[in-house]
Amino acid sequence: MNIIVLIKQVPDTTDVKLDPKTGSLIREGVESIINPDDRHALEAAISLKKAEGGKVTVLSMGPPQTIDALSEAIGMGANEAILLSDSAFAGADTWSTSFTLGKSIEKIGGYDLIFCGRQAIDGDTAQIGPQVADYLHVPQVTYVFEIEKIQKKNIIVKKRLEDGYERVQCNLPALLTVIGELNVPRYPMVGRLIDACKEKSPIKIWNASDIGVQAKDVGLEGSFTQVIKTFAPKFKRQGEMLEGDAKKIAGTLVEKLKENKLI
Amino acid sequence: MLRSDPEKLIRKVMARFVDEEVIPVAREIDEKGEFPFDLFKKIADMGVLGIRYPKKVGGSGGNTTLYCIAMEELARGLLSLAAVTAMQCLMATNGLYLYGTKEMHEEYLRPALRGEKIGAFQLTEPEAGSDLSAVRTLATKASDGYVINGMKTWSTSGPYGDFHTVLCQTDPDKKLRGLMFFFIPTDTPGFSHSKKFETLGTRTSALSEIYFNNCHVPPEYMLGELGRGLDVLLTILAEIRIMTAALALGLHRAAMDDSIKYCKERVQFGKPIGKYQLIQAKIANMAVNLEAGRLMVDKVTHQIDNKISCLNEASMGKYFTVESACSATDEAMRIFGAYGYSMEYNVQRYYRDNRFLLYGGGTHEVLQTTIARQYLR
Ligand SMILES: Cc1cc2nc3c(=O)[nH]c(=O)nc-3n(C[C@H](O)[C@H](O)[C@H](O)COP(=O)(O)OP(=O)(O)OC[C@H]3O[C@@H](n4cnc5c(N)ncnc54)[C@H](O)[C@@H]3O)c2cc1C
Ligand SMILES: Cc1cc2nc3c(=O)[nH]c(=O)nc-3n(C[C@H](O)[C@H](O)[C@H](O)COP(=O)(O)OP(=O)(O)OC[C@H]3O[C@@H](n4cnc5c(N)ncnc54)[C@H](O)[C@@H]3O)c2cc1C
Repeated sequence: MNIIVLIKQVPDTTDVKLDPKTGSLIREGVESIINPDDRHALEAAISLKKAEGGKVTVLSMGPPQTIDALSEAIGMGANEAILLSDSAFAGADTWSTSFTLGKSIEKIGGYDLIFCGRQAIDGDTAQIGPQVADYLHVPQVTYVFEIEKIQKKNIIVKKRLEDGYERVQCNLPALLTVIGELNVPRYPMVGRLIDACKEKSPIKIWNASDIGVQAKDVGLEGSFTQVIKTFAPKFKRQGEMLEGDAKKIAGTLVEKLKENKLI
Repeated sequence: MLRSDPEKLIRKVMARFVDEEVIPVAREIDEKGEFPFDLFKKIADMGVLGIRYPKKVGGSGGNTTLYCIAMEELARGLLSLAAVTAMQCLMATNGLYLYGTKEMHEEYLRPALRGEKIGAFQLTEPEAGSDLSAVRTLATKASDGYVINGMKTWSTSGPYGDFHTVLCQTDPDKKLRGLMFFFIPTDTPGFSHSKKFETLGTRTSALSEIYFNNCHVPPEYMLGELGRGLDVLLTILAEIRIMTAALALGLHRAAMDDSIKYCKERVQFGKPIGKYQLIQAKIANMAVNLEAGRLMVDKVTHQIDNKISCLNEASMGKYFTVESACSATDEAMRIFGAYGYSMEYNVQRYYRDNRFLLYGGGTHEVLQTTIARQYLR
């Protein structure tokens, strides 16, 4: 079973702050992490590999510091990783991102399964998985929360719906996007992390020419959408979380209600 | 070639482990006062226990710097868990690693690095604290090994340890030169221990007395060369001290993090207390001491990794960071006002746990004495 996992490195916050002048993300002081759903995708791939044999290849497009996400994936048990990094890839919209990832997967070849997270906590579109599947002409199942059975030619999974689930059988190769309910991701092994940092670690770095694309087809130039303006929505009302034990919270709450002349 | 920095990567992964797995349950574990074997096993499963040993003995192939980074992060979550982990990585296993036979490695070292067997390290006796020349536990040569008689006290993990590295006297006339470490498995006939001690802090780690009544051990259980027994301790003394300093950094950060959060939230006289300059001074001192301590620890761990002797710097590092943590945990208690005194908040635990760091690795009076000796010779 050869498995490819797509992971994205994201800022460690869902409370993304934007620079009001440039409209770009403020990344200073915010640690980068593997997108939470992608950790579940990695866990699924690694445990499947342990059970069925084969190998796990992790792929991520991003700036050079994305190497840390890939090192962690190796630490968890992935066999190899590829970082797609090139200034030409910068400014990609989801179409362009999916195209670049799709091209790279074609170059890797010989896969049975591709795992993605459902959604990235920064971009939040949940488009990459479906678009990559479309580009590769492979079937896709989204919102997977259980892998029931895996056979030579197909896989049976459960897919979460708002009010229940669907049980789907799907031919291989296929692309699955997974949600947190699927599993509990393991922590990386210290020894594997140390090895991932070494020169001879199994992490490759590919640029545009490595995957046979030209600058005009990827990144900002290859994007169909152009961002005109980015802004944070204005909150008219803001919630406040009270902390402490029940007694303290109740006391503070009453004070606040009195303060605002509500009681 | 673009690669991750191992120090940053290990810190990040350990920090996440501590935030997700340790901090949410730390208070409950401390209140129960029982060692969290399940968490210890999770730490072992990540390969942390072998972080400073090579892969050929079941280690993770790291070094002292990575070890201290991991211990600092753990101490930020729960000092007693970090202290037992730190002991397992170093004092409890290093003599076994350096001087144990291949069979001993298979039977004890590898399982210890997997978290399946717990080790302990015993120097202290009722009459021998700072003064190791007063050790009386006797190892008498027999035809097929040694017979151990005596007792130890303040043995961390004493009540449930599976094996013990024990400082014994082989020849009282030789004083310090007669001291040797012996490897003694708990299932050796004649071995027993007292009840767990009641202590002020680090309440989850179990301490007890240990008794040896005609404990018979084979000759290979004497660790190292006769006459050079203290090498087992001296080769890692700088590392023990700087590891203790790393634990102090972690605890210091916990006290500081909680203080920062609290002084932004707590409003008195119409302002968050963090707006008052006297509170700001406390935060500033915590931050400055933390930064200075970090630099000391970082310098010494890299010196150890580069085989540069640094015992004096390590002593300074332990002395400074632990005193800084004492100050930080004390100031945190004041910033929290009466709530610092309440068992509802964690600062009381930091304050209690912190006291433990004062003794192991050398008391501060002894450290000050040895540091001064470098200059007054
Ligand atoms: C440097 C940079 C510049 C950008 N500039 C622009 C811009 O100018 N205009 C614009 O519209 N958008 C821009 N983006 C946003 C970018 O288009 C989206 O972040 C990206 O397409 C992924 O979409 P998403 O975050 O919504 O992921 P989702 O579709 O929500 O992610 C779902 C899953 O897809 C996989 N995945 C997502 N992204 C990647 C990746 N990079 N590598 C590997 N797997 C991945 C993961 O498994 C993830 O869980 C930029 C992003 C970067 C990093
Ligand atoms: C929680 C905890 C866990 C421990 N775990 C272990 C363990 O696992 N294994 C182990 O072997 N030990 C352990 N110890 C014991 C620890 O190593 C000793 O406490 C330490 O060596 C100091 O000895 P002592 O307490 O007998 O103090 P003493 O040596 O009796 O000192 C008493 C006081 O006299 C001062 N003093 C002593 N000598 C001098 C001097 N020459 N000049 C100036 N002042 C001096 C000391 O600084 C101190 O203030 C543990 C202790 C604690 C609290």
